[in-house]
Amino acid sequence: MFIAGRILSSLLVIAGTLVLVFAILYVLPGDPTDTMLDPSVATPEMVANLKHQLGTDQPFYIQFSRYISDMVRGDFGNSLLNSEPVLNKIIDHFPATLALTAVSALVAAVFGLVLGVLSAIHRNGPIDLIARVVGLFGISMPTFWSGILLIVLFSLNLGWFPAMGSGGWKTLVLPALTLGIVGAGFIVRMVRSSMLDIINEHFMLTLRAKGLSERIVMYKHALRNALIPAVTMVGMLIGEMLAGTVVIETVFSRQGIGRIMSDALMAKDLPVVQGVIFFTALIYVIVNLLVDLSYTVIDPRVRRST
Amino acid sequence: MNRNRSRFQSSAAVLLVLALVLSACASNKGENNKSQQAQQSDTPTTAATEVKQGGELTYALATSPDTLDPHRSGLAVAVRVIRTIYDSLVVQLPDNSIKPWLATSWEISEDGLSYTFKLRQDVKFQDGTPFNAEAVKYNFDRILDPATKAANAAALLVPYQSSEVIDEYTVKLNLATPSRAFLGNLSQALLGIVSPTAAKKDGDQFGLNPVGTGPFKFVKWEENAEIQVTRNPDYKWASELVTNTGAPYLDGITFKIVPEEATRIGSVQSGQVLAAETVPPQNIVALKGDSKVQLFEANTVGLPYTLFFNQDHEPWNDVKARQAVQLAVDVDSIVKTLYLGTYDRAWSPLTPGTFGYDPTLENSVKPDLEKAGALLDEIGWVKGADGIREKDGKKLSLHYVDGTPNREKRNDIAVIIQQQLKALGVAVEVEITKDIRTIVYTNGSYDLYGNSQVNSDPNALYSFYHSTDPKALPSLTRLSDPSIDKLLEQGRIETDDTKRADIYKQIQHYIIDQAVILPIYVFPYTVAADKSVKGLVFDSLGYPLFNAVSIGS
Amino acid sequence: MREAATASTIWQKQRGRRLAAIRFRRFTASNLFVLGAVTVVLFIVACAIVPSIIAPYSPTEMLTDSIMQPPSAAHLFGTDYFGRDIFSVVVYGSRDSLFIGFASVIVGGLAGGAIGALSGYAGGWLDAVLMRCNDILMTIPGILLALAIAGALGKSLFNIVLAVAVASIPGYARIMRSQIISIKGRTFIQASQAAGASPLHIFWKHVLPNSLSPLLVMATIGVGTSILTGSGLSFLGLGVLREVPDWGTLLSQGRGYLTVAWWICTFPGVAITLFVLAVNIIGDRLRDQLDPKKSMR
Repeated sequence: MFIAGRILSSLLVIAGTLVLVFAILYVLPGDPTDTMLDPSVATPEMVANLKHQLGTDQPFYIQFSRYISDMVRGDFGNSLLNSEPVLNKIIDHFPATLALTAVSALVAAVFGLVLGVLSAIHRNGPIDLIARVVGLFGISMPTFWSGILLIVLFSLNLGWFPAMGSGGWKTLVLPALTLGIVGAGFIVRMVRSSMLDIINEHFMLTLRAKGLSERIVMYKHALRNALIPAVTMVGMLIGEMLAGTVVIETVFSRQGIGRIMSDALMAKDLPVVQGVIFFTALIYVIVNLLVDLSYTVIDPRVRRST
Repeated sequence: MNRNRSRFQSSAAVLLVLALVLSACASNKGENNKSQQAQQSDTPTTAATEVKQGGELTYALATSPDTLDPHRSGLAVAVRVIRTIYDSLVVQLPDNSIKPWLATSWEISEDGLSYTFKLRQDVKFQDGTPFNAEAVKYNFDRILDPATKAANAAALLVPYQSSEVIDEYTVKLNLATPSRAFLGNLSQALLGIVSPTAAKKDGDQFGLNPVGTGPFKFVKWEENAEIQVTRNPDYKWASELVTNTGAPYLDGITFKIVPEEATRIGSVQSGQVLAAETVPPQNIVALKGDSKVQLFEANTVGLPYTLFFNQDHEPWNDVKARQAVQLAVDVDSIVKTLYLGTYDRAWSPLTPGTFGYDPTLENSVKPDLEKAGALLDEIGWVKGADGIREKDGKKLSLHYVDGTPNREKRNDIAVIIQQQLKALGVAVEVEITKDIRTIVYTNGSYDLYGNSQVNSDPNALYSFYHSTDPKALPSLTRLSDPSIDKLLEQGRIETDDTKRADIYKQIQHYIIDQAVILPIYVFPYTVAADKSVKGLVFDSLGYPLFNAVSIGS
Repeated sequence: MREAATASTIWQKQRGRRLAAIRFRRFTASNLFVLGAVTVVLFIVACAIVPSIIAPYSPTEMLTDSIMQPPSAAHLFGTDYFGRDIFSVVVYGSRDSLFIGFASVIVGGLAGGAIGALSGYAGGWLDAVLMRCNDILMTIPGILLALAIAGALGKSLFNIVLAVAVASIPGYARIMRSQIISIKGRTFIQASQAAGASPLHIFWKHVLPNSLSPLLVMATIGVGTSILTGSGLSFLGLGVLREVPDWGTLLSQGRGYLTVAWWICTFPGVAITLFVLAVNIIGDRLRDQLDPKKSMR
């Protein structure tokens, strides 16, 4: 029942997202013809003809109903700029974004957990301080800047990793690092505070009193309990990271849906924007659904409370 | 992922007694002939060189092409790729003469309304389709067909009306009005000839599976990542612009799309690509000291980057107000500061390489703030307490519109002009917008707007300076002067080159004397390449040609 | 169930405050850190209020004879490609940057807080509708939402603020709602309901004051996040061009010079990072102080 309800409301959310995005794009000034026709050479008739061919001169309700009926039939439409089917575009670009997001999430989780645990164990000591500052740096730098700095250092000067492209694991290192350290910053904070919460809770004292070693108490019980908020965080971060790819994919000249979406948004290539938003929304919703379900695995208590 | 880069394993070097040592001279441009880059192919050195066959050129582009269908593309970056896949009927040389390419000869009727082309008989499209009169007719009719959703090509094809196939290799094009610009337009890549078979088969999707007659065949396009083209071994119909009339020396080209400037240029230096386009001025200066990298430059032709006054708006309809701004803006300082001596300053509404360009306009305007102030005083705009000029209680402001992004540092020009005009007592409000079509072209809400246009013919001036039909959109300048209208109309059809050049000289003088515009800079298309890259040349519009490129050791 | 993590009880809170007060007197490295952060924020706020006292040059003065000069005694941070003194530009640029940071937090925090409070307190169908709308906003990545809004409204500082604010609404709404729900369930609220107090009175007197602290913490950190989102918009070409640009614009426009004149984008970047870092440190400390459970350490 719980799951069915969640799925139903997720579907509603996705439908709502599509309507909202369509509306935003409709009021967005400009038209794909701005990209296709140089305004200094094209006559108004040329512009009008092209608009008519593309169907962008139709009123909102006609464009929207046409779009929905296509969607229902599983047709995501074609790019207005080069007629490429949107679904092909997504299938082509999604793997690169998925790889980047997954590896970034991994980087974030690993760095975040390690730093967070270290900082909780050595609370208020110098290690805690360093771990927190490193974590904070991640969330305090504009990603396009840290990305370019990494390129200059590791690619142009040291030549260790390629500065661009999206083939092979080597091209993933720098972008995933850039994006991952942002996520790590959030996770460090979360893991630290939830571990401290648990350390201070009574049952931990009991465990200690029972004579369990500090190490077992920390890693087995404290960490396990601290994982819940961390997992929630990763779930929420997936959304942030998908958004982050918009910038990162441009900085590192990677393929990906973040980049096609920002390009399409700029060119007002509506079917592309819609298709990509639909996909990211779908992923976001699925990931959060999974996160919710994963609690039941990590913490049996949650099962009862829902 | 299985990018098989065989550029280092050179195939058997073939001795080609071809006159070509371009790469070396291309990087050290002369002082005055910067715009004549491609002309170097006219004066080939006689030294016989061993040209290395094979290898793959990796070439970093600054943005993603929109489509590889020439008739539907609206972006210059797409033309760099399109030019490798498609040929045109004719070619324009740097001296602005029109020479044969896919057409061997042509005749223009007395009234200038029909062009009869004789076509080459040995040309095949890359898919095996024979190239003939039928194909030419199909192409131009395709652009006219609204279902094609033609973009800038439709504008270039004006005043084309229809084609008649005379025989297999003769085609007659009919125009609605005579046009001296027509042949030049036909030479442009956007009017390149596409394979009728492929275009019919792929319809809308043709831009993703392009087929032409060009020196390179399309292999694949991974959007936002790379476009691959491979050598067309059957190619033997190159234009006069390149020295290698046969198939290209390269095995293929991989265009990588690298939007971030620092990465794009850095990857040439670190060897991740062999060449990268659009080098920012600060990097040009830095690269000049780099022993591994060479620089290719080609000035573009047509209209330079120009700031257009909107004469519908007070007080800019007054020549004195415009002249005041013309005198107060220190263009030399702008060009020197922002482009560090790598871009040439523009002096005329046309760029130096364009037919009819008048070099006597050079150095005709010198900044003189005092005189500028006097001109404004004269027409009643006097400085108020805050340093801004006023008249009848109205502050003198100038609404400066520029497009986004900061292409060629155009937004930075606005920033400098804002400061320079502040000294004159003009408050400049800068608006940077993406929506140029609405704000500038439809609503006309600007006092000063900057634009440039790559064009093969001075007739480009027509749409900027001719007074417009009240039903149509007004021109950027809103200029309306019968004498200029008449000259522009004459220029459009005048068949005598000397007379035609003279007409355009008069127009250029008028435009500068009346301060209709402020010409700012001539844009050079720049390529940074590894020293091993040889033979890169540019067509007369500044687009790269790869026919004779080789990668030496 | 996520709400459970931020739940707190009143008695704990009061005890927490007392403990915190004691702890604060202890001189720790962590306190030194917070002190540093407060100093940075105060200095930057001072830059925004009285830039003319701090900056040695006018931020618009272009010394075209000395462009791209490296840092020196005359130009602490060097000069940029216009020949402007970068230190002065950064000092003056704090104005627009802080404006983007604070204004969008105020707009987004108020709107999100109001939506969350309404949703959480009213419950029922209103809650369901509002939260589904919130989820919709949340599924669209924030920067894309901002991109679309900035694109739709055109470029101006105010529109950037609005774009960043709207993108931040769902986060505020969510945290506010969960806090309200957890407070609503407390026994003392139920007690006042039983005593016959009007729902509005209970909300205003008891629920709201006890729900604000997480929102405040989030808003503090949000000032930094907004500045970062704003700079991301500049990077994607939607920044505003003002006579004195904000840090995000300076950084994104100067990045092309990184390999030639590193100082042009480095100092605006450092300014952003330092400020956001400081704001985060303060936010973290605020969270610790306000959250009773954490103050026990």
